[in-house]
Amino acid sequence: MLDISDLTLSYGAEPVLEGVTFEVKAGQFVSLVGPSGSGKSSILRAVMGLQAYSSGHLALAVGRDQIGFLFQDDALLPWRTARENVMLGLRIRGMTNREAVQAAESWLMQLGLMGLSGRYPNELSGGQRKRVALAQVLALKPRLLLMDEPFASLDAIVRHRLTQDLLNWVEQEHLTVLLVTHDLEEALSLSDVVYLLSQGPRARIRQRYAVPFARPRDSIKTRTQPDFAPLLARLWQDLSMEVFPVEEDVTPVEVEV
Amino acid sequence: MKRQTRQVVAQLVFLALWEVLTRTGVIDPFFVSSPSQVVLTLITLFSGTEIWSHLQASFSEAILGLIAGVGIGVVLGLVAAFTPIISEILEPAMTLLNATPRVILAPLFTIWFGIGLGSKIVLSFSLVVVLVFFAVYNGVKDVDVRLVERVKTLGGNARVLLQEVYLPSVTAWVMGNLKVAVGFAFTGAVVGEFVASQRGLGYLLSFAQSTYNASLMVALILLIQLFVLVLTNLADRLEQRLLSWKYRQRALPSPAIETKLPSSSLVG
Repeated sequence: MLDISDLTLSYGAEPVLEGVTFEVKAGQFVSLVGPSGSGKSSILRAVMGLQAYSSGHLALAVGRDQIGFLFQDDALLPWRTARENVMLGLRIRGMTNREAVQAAESWLMQLGLMGLSGRYPNELSGGQRKRVALAQVLALKPRLLLMDEPFASLDAIVRHRLTQDLLNWVEQEHLTVLLVTHDLEEALSLSDVVYLLSQGPRARIRQRYAVPFARPRDSIKTRTQPDFAPLLARLWQDLSMEVFPVEEDVTPVEVEV
Repeated sequence: MKRQTRQVVAQLVFLALWEVLTRTGVIDPFFVSSPSQVVLTLITLFSGTEIWSHLQASFSEAILGLIAGVGIGVVLGLVAAFTPIISEILEPAMTLLNATPRVILAPLFTIWFGIGLGSKIVLSFSLVVVLVFFAVYNGVKDVDVRLVERVKTLGGNARVLLQEVYLPSVTAWVMGNLKVAVGFAFTGAVVGEFVASQRGLGYLLSFAQSTYNASLMVALILLIQLFVLVLTNLADRLEQRLLSWKYRQRALPSPAIETKLPSSSLVG
């Protein structure tokens, strides 16, 4: 679905990413974790075509119109109602106004926003706005979903509910997902594969972790599985080594996988 | 006592004091007139027919200057914001014009466009266009880049971006400046009339000055204030209508959010 090889990306003189190579197979849920500033979001932006890269290859099995991008900020148009925000992408893709209204209403209902479709974003709570943003992306029936910490700003309960709802949808529709997150537990509980990026600048893929848990998954119950803690400990230790490479007071963790 | 009542009482006290001080001769009414004299002057003005042609002249100049200033300001602002080569020329020119007190151009405009309505409309326009140009130009530059990227990821091209992101952003900026623009438009019209004209409130002001008629001057100042207030109020309503999304109250938390996607085991 997505093949990235030897990708180098610079904002100034020094590359943020250098020689990044990884793949996302069709139907896989892949997460990118890594220290802050390692360029995780830049990879997503490069895949989406929002960010130019200096060298390397980026091969997509689908067109960019089949990619859905969920941003960290909900970034809904403040002058458009929830319905109009969802309709926007559908109208851009040539759907008639009437069809787009029906589709938007249906998606908003599916996402639990019945009766709120006429509201403007500033009349909705943070969680409701995220649901509108989700409806806006899912309504376009993407085959590849790129997510940049989409629910990071929400409180724990709302975040888990939304994450689980999205996970169920992804599993049901066999969507391919590339998620960027700071949350290691979230990455392991949702993904089939987790990639750890090294400390930037010149960040690269430091490690690949295959996550063995069966699907369908419950994002919380998965965390109680016996293999979860050792995998998390290994990921945590590797990340710590990236963030504090010379400090010796990072407590080593016993890894038994 | 309520805030509004206190304000009315304060104004009445001021008027009463003004009246008493002029009647008792503490202040010379020749220079400051008195409230009763101003009211009498206003009644005299509106009992004749001549005032209407003066009002019509000032209104026409201000409104035409305002419309032209907003229209051309929006177009120039958009063109400059999206075309670097044009912004290289326009931005410094507009900055220079902004730094120039436009009032000093009035005599020049009179030579160019005559003492009729034209020179006043141009003066009004010159005040409004700079304000609107910078509102639009900076509005486009400051547009929320997240919204631009969001629309791009949904597949939006340049036309969709203009229609869905830039124009609504710019409308918000222009509407925010419209009330100031109304005041500018009237300033242009009245100052233009003051310099050279045969009609208009500025012409009457100039006449009142030359005849040392303080009552007429105060009456005209009140009239101009009243009209600007009315127009500002209309601009305010237009803003609330066009930017209704901004003025909607934030909703109370919605009671039930039940997702109909494959149901979450976390949702109790």
